[in-house]
Amino acid sequence: MKIRTIKYIVKEGTVNAYRNRFMTFASIGIVTLSMLAFGIFYLFAVNINHNAGILKNQLEFEVFCKPELGDVQVNQIEQSIKSSSGIISYTKVTKDMAFENAKKMLGDDKDILNGFDNNFLPVSFKIKIKDSVSSEVLVNKFKSMDGVDSVKYPQAEINFVTKGSAWIRLVMIALLLILLVVSLFIISNTIKLTLFARRREINIMKYIGATDWFIRWPFVVEGVIIGLSGVIISFVVSTYLYNMVQDKLSKGITDISNGMMGLVSMKDVGFDLFGIFILIGISVGIAGSMISIRKHLRV
Amino acid sequence: MIEFKNVVKKYPNGTLALKDINIKVEKGEFAFIIGSSGSGKSTLIKLILKEEDPTEGDVHVNGYHVSSLTRNVVPSLRRSLGCVFQDFRLLPNKTVYENVAFAMQITEALPKEIRRQVPMALALVGLSKKANVYPNQLSGGEQQRVAVARALVNNPALLVADEPTGNLDPETSWEIMKLLTEINHRGTTVLVATHEKTIVDAMKKRVIALDKGEIVRDQEKGLYGNEDKNYQIHS
Ligand SMILES: Nc1ncnc2c1ncn2[C@@H]1O[C@H](COP(=O)(O)OP(=O)(O)O)[C@@H](O)[C@H]1O
Ligand SMILES: [Mg+2]
Repeated sequence: MKIRTIKYIVKEGTVNAYRNRFMTFASIGIVTLSMLAFGIFYLFAVNINHNAGILKNQLEFEVFCKPELGDVQVNQIEQSIKSSSGIISYTKVTKDMAFENAKKMLGDDKDILNGFDNNFLPVSFKIKIKDSVSSEVLVNKFKSMDGVDSVKYPQAEINFVTKGSAWIRLVMIALLLILLVVSLFIISNTIKLTLFARRREINIMKYIGATDWFIRWPFVVEGVIIGLSGVIISFVVSTYLYNMVQDKLSKGITDISNGMMGLVSMKDVGFDLFGIFILIGISVGIAGSMISIRKHLRV
Repeated sequence: MIEFKNVVKKYPNGTLALKDINIKVEKGEFAFIIGSSGSGKSTLIKLILKEEDPTEGDVHVNGYHVSSLTRNVVPSLRRSLGCVFQDFRLLPNKTVYENVAFAMQITEALPKEIRRQVPMALALVGLSKKANVYPNQLSGGEQQRVAVARALVNNPALLVADEPTGNLDPETSWEIMKLLTEINHRGTTVLVATHEKTIVDAMKKRVIALDKGEIVRDQEKGLYGNEDKNYQIHS
């Protein structure tokens, strides 16, 4: 295809979009709203996943030794924890520390501990594991260790975070599909109107020997114009909204989570989001116009 | 140039529009296809343009075996000939110049070529002065001249016309026919479907007469409805 033909096609597509401007604007509006909904949900999901990842990394096990264990045996357990792979770090909770903790936990009722010494409390190890390691395998390994009384681990929280991420992903895909179908429908409908408006011209072009693609391309261009305009507007709007929300919420989230959690910066997701949007804009534009062309343009 | 061999055309609804048609039009000829309304003239033209396919038989045009042409070759068949219709078929939002240039644009011709050829074609049909005017500002005869210029701008060896004077008054019709004759004298083969008796009679060209889908007469320098003993043509 020659440069001048490409110029012609782009110009025709733009002129078509302009002539049909009421429908063009309506469909850009719908694509914009769809992609805005998707974009907002996407950013929400990115943040949930990001913080879920942090949470998962924070998950700890606590391995409790039998209270009656002597220092030698406790040291043995410590050594085997130390040499286990998949562990980031551990802290030893001595009997004294456990006693202090228990007092703290009881608060005003701490008097009931009067008369006890710390001997009835076990030594425990708080263990942080790597994200990539299966928590179940490690838990079972520690449980079966000699001298270990029990292992406390937040399985419920782990399940919640994992399941939650999976659900969010699923909802996002479903939402994306629905919005894509809506966008496809509106674009193909708009192209259909242009096709009808230009039926006579298309017919004339066929008689003077225009190739199928010479006739079709301008309509594809029209679809892509709609798709791209929609995604670019919604990208700009969702970036703006996100920055606003981030300003308001970021500090609060950081504070309540002791700096552990926070919102992902637009700098980090913006590029991905833009790429996804442009890809969707172009694909939806092409697919939408192709649907109409296949249905309504017998060349 | 054009050859129909045992061509039968039956439309899907059962209408038998052409029955066993055999025609040969040589390079440089001028031929009329005549016949009353419904006799099959337009169908014959449509077979040449591959707007329809024959039910039986073969159609050859400009070296193309039209009846077996694949879709992607149809544009090159249509570029190899010019066609003119009763309703002019000009693009309303393009000027006269742009309408003619468009026929070259779709062939991806060089802009230099377009700038050279279009004024020549407009001069040939006598419309150089109206180059920048839109079709709705032209008379019917002028619009048909634009259509002829567009048909000729790519220098096709063949020009086919289906009732080119059907929407024109007698005087303008004559002018268009004269123009077509002139084009024929310059070497282009011309095939005109019409039911205008007076013009055909006066022009003394080859006449192929159709009646109910059959060729009832094919003769050189014929008259439209001359007293032929065997056939009666209604107009
Ligand atoms: N697309 C079509 N479908 C069915 N019948 C058709 C179609 N086009 C033409 N016909 C029929 O074929 C016959 C020949 O038509 P046509 O070629 O248009 O004749 P003419 O141009 O001489 O008036 C007529 O009986 C007409 O009704
Ligand atoms: Mg007809």
